[in-house]
Amino acid sequence: MTNKLTYMAILGLLLLSSFSFMSTDDLEEKRTLMLLTTDISYEAGSQIDLQFSSSTETTPPLYCSNSYGSTIIIPTLENNVLHYKIPSHLSYKSGLVNWTLVDKDASLLGQFQITSKQHVAHLETYIGPPNIGAGGTDYTMLVVIPTDTLDNPLKNNTLVQVQHQFLSNEKSEQIWTKHCIAYKNIYSEQSKGRILIASECLNVHSKEYSVEVMAGLPTNFSISANRNHHYADGNQITTFKTSVLKDKLGNIVSDGTYVEFYITTGNGNILMTFGSTIQGVATAKMLHPDHGAEWIIKAFIDGIAESNTVTLNYMKAIKDFEVAFSENNRSITIGPLQSFMKQMIPEGLQVKLLIYQDHQLIKTIIKNSNLGYSNFNLNLDSFTNGSYELKIKVAGLEKTFKTVILW
Amino acid sequence: MKETSNKFLITALLIAIAFHGASMFFTLEGTYDALIHLFFADHYAHSWFEPWNFKWYTGFTVMSYPPLVHQVIAMLSLVAGLKFGLFTVFLLSVILFITGVYRFSLLITANRTVAGYASILAVLSSSFVETLHLFGQLPSIIGISILMHALPEIYLWIKTGKYRYLFTSLSLLAVTVCSHHVTPIFGMIFFIFPLIGMVIMDMAKTQVKTMKLITFKVFFNTFLKLFKRIASFGLLSLIIIIGCILPYWINSKNNPITQIPIPHGSRDNFLEVTSSGLVFFIIPWGVLLIILPYIFYRLFNKRYLFFGLSFAILTILGTGDTTPIPRLVLGETAFNILTLDRFTLWATIMVLPIFGEFIYRFVQGDLKTLVQDRFGAIFHRLTGGALAGLFIFMTIFTISLGYFRPSQPQKIKMLPIVNFLNQDQHDQWRYLTLGFGDQMAWLASQTNAMTVDGNYHSARRLPELTTRAIERLENSKFKGIEGLGSLQQFLTVPEKYNLKFIFSNDKFYDPILYFCGWQRLRQLENGIMVWEKLNVKPLSSVLPKEDVPTWQKTVWGTIPFLSLIIAFFLNIQMLWVRALKLKVKIIPEYLFFKNEYTGFSTPLLKITFLWSALIAIILCFSLYSFYIKNDTHHSPENTIMAYYDALDFKEFEKAHRLIDPKSNVTMAQYMLEISVTDGLLSSYAKLDHLETNITSKNDSLATAIVNTHWITPLEKIDKTHYKTLTKHDGKWFLKPDPLDADLPPDQLYSNNVTNYFNQGRRRITTEQTYHEDVLKQPVLEILSAKLVRYNNHYAVVGEVQNIDNVPADVVLKGTLYNDENKELASYNAKYHVKHKLMPKEVSSFKINFEGIAWTKTEDSIPKTFNPDEFTPFDFEEQPTKFNLQAAGNVSGSDLYKAVVLNDININNNTIEGTLFNSGLKEVTVPQLLISYYDSNKTLVWVDHQFLKDGIRQQRKQNFNYILLDESTVTIINDDMTNCYVNGIPNNAISNKNVPDRIKDHTNTVLQQINHTVYPFIKIELNTYIGNLN
Repeated sequence: MTNKLTYMAILGLLLLSSFSFMSTDDLEEKRTLMLLTTDISYEAGSQIDLQFSSSTETTPPLYCSNSYGSTIIIPTLENNVLHYKIPSHLSYKSGLVNWTLVDKDASLLGQFQITSKQHVAHLETYIGPPNIGAGGTDYTMLVVIPTDTLDNPLKNNTLVQVQHQFLSNEKSEQIWTKHCIAYKNIYSEQSKGRILIASECLNVHSKEYSVEVMAGLPTNFSISANRNHHYADGNQITTFKTSVLKDKLGNIVSDGTYVEFYITTGNGNILMTFGSTIQGVATAKMLHPDHGAEWIIKAFIDGIAESNTVTLNYMKAIKDFEVAFSENNRSITIGPLQSFMKQMIPEGLQVKLLIYQDHQLIKTIIKNSNLGYSNFNLNLDSFTNGSYELKIKVAGLEKTFKTVILW
Repeated sequence: MKETSNKFLITALLIAIAFHGASMFFTLEGTYDALIHLFFADHYAHSWFEPWNFKWYTGFTVMSYPPLVHQVIAMLSLVAGLKFGLFTVFLLSVILFITGVYRFSLLITANRTVAGYASILAVLSSSFVETLHLFGQLPSIIGISILMHALPEIYLWIKTGKYRYLFTSLSLLAVTVCSHHVTPIFGMIFFIFPLIGMVIMDMAKTQVKTMKLITFKVFFNTFLKLFKRIASFGLLSLIIIIGCILPYWINSKNNPITQIPIPHGSRDNFLEVTSSGLVFFIIPWGVLLIILPYIFYRLFNKRYLFFGLSFAILTILGTGDTTPIPRLVLGETAFNILTLDRFTLWATIMVLPIFGEFIYRFVQGDLKTLVQDRFGAIFHRLTGGALAGLFIFMTIFTISLGYFRPSQPQKIKMLPIVNFLNQDQHDQWRYLTLGFGDQMAWLASQTNAMTVDGNYHSARRLPELTTRAIERLENSKFKGIEGLGSLQQFLTVPEKYNLKFIFSNDKFYDPILYFCGWQRLRQLENGIMVWEKLNVKPLSSVLPKEDVPTWQKTVWGTIPFLSLIIAFFLNIQMLWVRALKLKVKIIPEYLFFKNEYTGFSTPLLKITFLWSALIAIILCFSLYSFYIKNDTHHSPENTIMAYYDALDFKEFEKAHRLIDPKSNVTMAQYMLEISVTDGLLSSYAKLDHLETNITSKNDSLATAIVNTHWITPLEKIDKTHYKTLTKHDGKWFLKPDPLDADLPPDQLYSNNVTNYFNQGRRRITTEQTYHEDVLKQPVLEILSAKLVRYNNHYAVVGEVQNIDNVPADVVLKGTLYNDENKELASYNAKYHVKHKLMPKEVSSFKINFEGIAWTKTEDSIPKTFNPDEFTPFDFEEQPTKFNLQAAGNVSGSDLYKAVVLNDININNNTIEGTLFNSGLKEVTVPQLLISYYDSNKTLVWVDHQFLKDGIRQQRKQNFNYILLDESTVTIINDDMTNCYVNGIPNNAISNKNVPDRIKDHTNTVLQQINHTVYPFIKIELNTYIGNLN
């Protein structure tokens, strides 16, 4: 019994002495704030609870930051242990988290890593450009970012399998993620077509992506002309055609490639017609001239390719025409305008009347023929009574009436 | 004394509600202003306290208009929508007006029967009907109505000095100013000052017993006696006018109206512009014109003297530019800012009591007796019937004017447009409407999308708008060069305003849209064509605004509505008392000044008759001259005028009736001939004016030279026609023109073309377009570019090629710098480029640096119209360097390239040639792009020409182009290091994509011409197709 009393006295003394110890040296006690948690790596999405031992009632906040931003966490105190629950907006993101215990006396700091889950939820895929040129120098780049359910990129050196198909080739290649992404340059081949691309990572497959391989620049080509007859009747249509336009690898150029046909006429004038290719062939049309002419035709794709030269001759359809004056010479009838088989020329042949007074051109009247004739009326308002010189131009023919007196 | 209900007033109210209530559904939405007020109301309904509105003019403040009416509509819209609010407020304004006229008339005439007559006349008064049903000026009517309610209170305050009247009058004045700011300011001068004069007269009369004895001395003494009340009222009302809408005044001071005044019909000379005379003089005055002598006689009575003066001034001010007096009185600035029709409105409202009095005397008073005694009862009845008939005719004519001469395009169904803007994030860009009239305000209030345009011109902010006298871009075709000039700037540089969509209800604008690089997207089910522009970035999510202090927002959001509530409670008690006859009412002071309605002055009656006769003669004469001017067969001039008028308005049947019936052109043949002509002139031109010069004329035959001047969206066209006319049975007819007989070779033919379709987003989702659905921008290459100067006019010229495999829409933006790399100007290529290029196609281009025309107000704005007029940028410093940004975007539209150059003839200063359309579509507007080369075959200049007529399939079209004069182009800089394509340096693209380019490949096929400075040219063709089907 005495023993028991003695023990109790000693214990009591010890207790007392400990109290006195605390009260004399607070600082000593504060330094005992210590990290209890030992894990320095977590998987994204898991519960993270940083624990510190504490012997006081104070609850210092924890300053936490990752690459997205920073936050302050207020702990809960249970049995002298401070619990800091890392909120989901930090714990769901993979990466390094730095923490600092904010206490005016004892400042602890440290860091832990959050790793992504090692199973793929989504393959974020980018590919571009969506069309490239054939020939093996142009390429498109595939970028794959495998991510987990919390949208964290998977860790470095995760294997990504890339499959691509072009014509009969099907290839499968392995690439590894580095700095969150895996990428591959896919080069075009010699012919045009479509590359289909897919990727796979940890048994998750991407959707299908496609890249168009287009023909390269066209090379020189040849042209031909097609017409119903070789008369310059100003009414029929001549059609020009190119050979099949191909690039240097033999691919037919893209539909719509624009070809300009330049026609140099006998007197040095330049006419133009245009066509765009369908299956490599461009077609252009031109109305027959209404006067005898020689056409030298050459087609261009500006700065890139050109054709051979084709020469066409158009023979005069109208050999001659008559002019009749009536109603005080104020009504002028031109015609009949007859074509190569003596048929009346189809409507729409241009007839030009030039009116000169004192060697000065005062008016040009243009009319289209109708049923083989053309009729001009010189009314009194525009042409006072007097002497005029009239020039009539039809189908490259010209007739001049030196002094026509209007009254 | 037990007061009985005034049967006349009750009748007036019932008729008013039935008449205006039934007709408002057919008129109000077609008025000029109603939908604008609706738009403002929509603003308050959504953000009561935030005055900044982003939807119009790249943002403006609603503090530029007093808020009360809009806020009331907004409040009511919470019950059953905006239009419910509008119609309810409309009915309220009618009731307020009728009761206001009644109270004002009672105040003036002190006779309940006369006031009753006046209120009935007010219901059908043509100026009131016009203001509401034609102009839709709700705030203006509400303002004047409340002012009329305030007048008796003001009278009583000054007369009796009871504070209760001071408070009621001030509360009503507060409501007036919160409804319409101009009304109390001018109301002070034209209504309240004369009223004060009348009070003083009345006070003076009580001192000296009769009106005759009031001398100036007596009047002045009375004035001094009442001075305290008058001054305190004046001071307090000034505080009310300024205080209640203080933010409005602050805003007007901070953003003074520095813009060019907008022409308004009320400022015209009514004798010259008869349509303005009709709308702003004849209609508002109506029957009152006949009794003008009586009105002047009565108002220049001693008691009403001040009203008489005020009325005379209002009448003269309302005549616009007919006399020089309004301009002298108001001064140049005020004359050009104010719309003068309001003066006429106030004048016609001011005389309503006198009008009521006249009718009272005519119907049951001394005038009746006088007329019956002198001319007999039948004459009295006949004149009464004529007067009533004329009065009702004016009312019916006024209310249905909008039916006969619609001021607005047909009502547009907005739902498809609203849906279009809501889908696919189209409201992330600004839009523009064309040809919508005032309905654009209704569209704006239904969508969240923003427009660069707007319908409240005082709030315009962009210098492109404020420096021109145009109300809206949307109706710019009616505003001549200024309108289309402004519009062009928005169309050419739309990315500056994030403008991507245009809703066009008027195909007039189609060519200008096309040649500025816009493309048609689709036609909505309401017939509106949607145009879009590629390469325009969406609006940023945060937009700039001019903020105002919170206290201003609070004042703006609370005081006006509070003033309404206060006025309601201050006046409601009296209203109840008056309406329900709860207790015997104290007779108001003004009822002691009764007029004697005995012994109508005989000379006055004679003068009135003479005056009426004069008016009748003027009316008959003007009707006769109107008939002669409009009889289409009366003279050759009339026939020609009517013919071109009919063509202009596409009334082909009418035009055909003017063609010589003996020429055997049947209606079917005529219509056929019309239907085969298309082109800028026949489809997109508006006749500006024409001059007819009859060169010879005898009894049966006439010849004429007709100079017509047409406005097209692209340029002004002058055309001279030689016409022959014949006369049959006293009627003149036109001889028909000969027909183009060109015959195409093929009956049926085929062409193969490559068509393109862009899916846009392939998945149906509301998310932003997936990256794999985004097309690569086509690669362009700038083959050459240089900064040149031609006659003081700087431009960047060059050639661009689409080196990609897909067709491209091309946007070229040039920026000029000086030696210190200071940016001087920036502009886009407008007409001088083919905006759509096939793979490997080349286009020459020129970027003009256009300034904002007439930015300096002192620059005189030419009266004539020329949409093609060009204002060179006013460079303060010498541009020496340039930056060129080319952007390509895939486009599958407008790729028609089948027009060919079939023949050409080179003359000394002109080129004649023939184009041939070898394709399957009818070309509406062909365009020639002519590039000029110097002797080294270097491109130095690019010019263009639009052809007036279109080209049908397999047909030819001649053109005649006048070469440039001998002025030399100076090349300032041809360094191409600052040329970029889709943001990538042009050099890099060139080296990678076309490494082995054949330089100057087509130089061998340049057209040689006889020109000393530019020996070579190249012709390119661009085509606008009006009808895509």
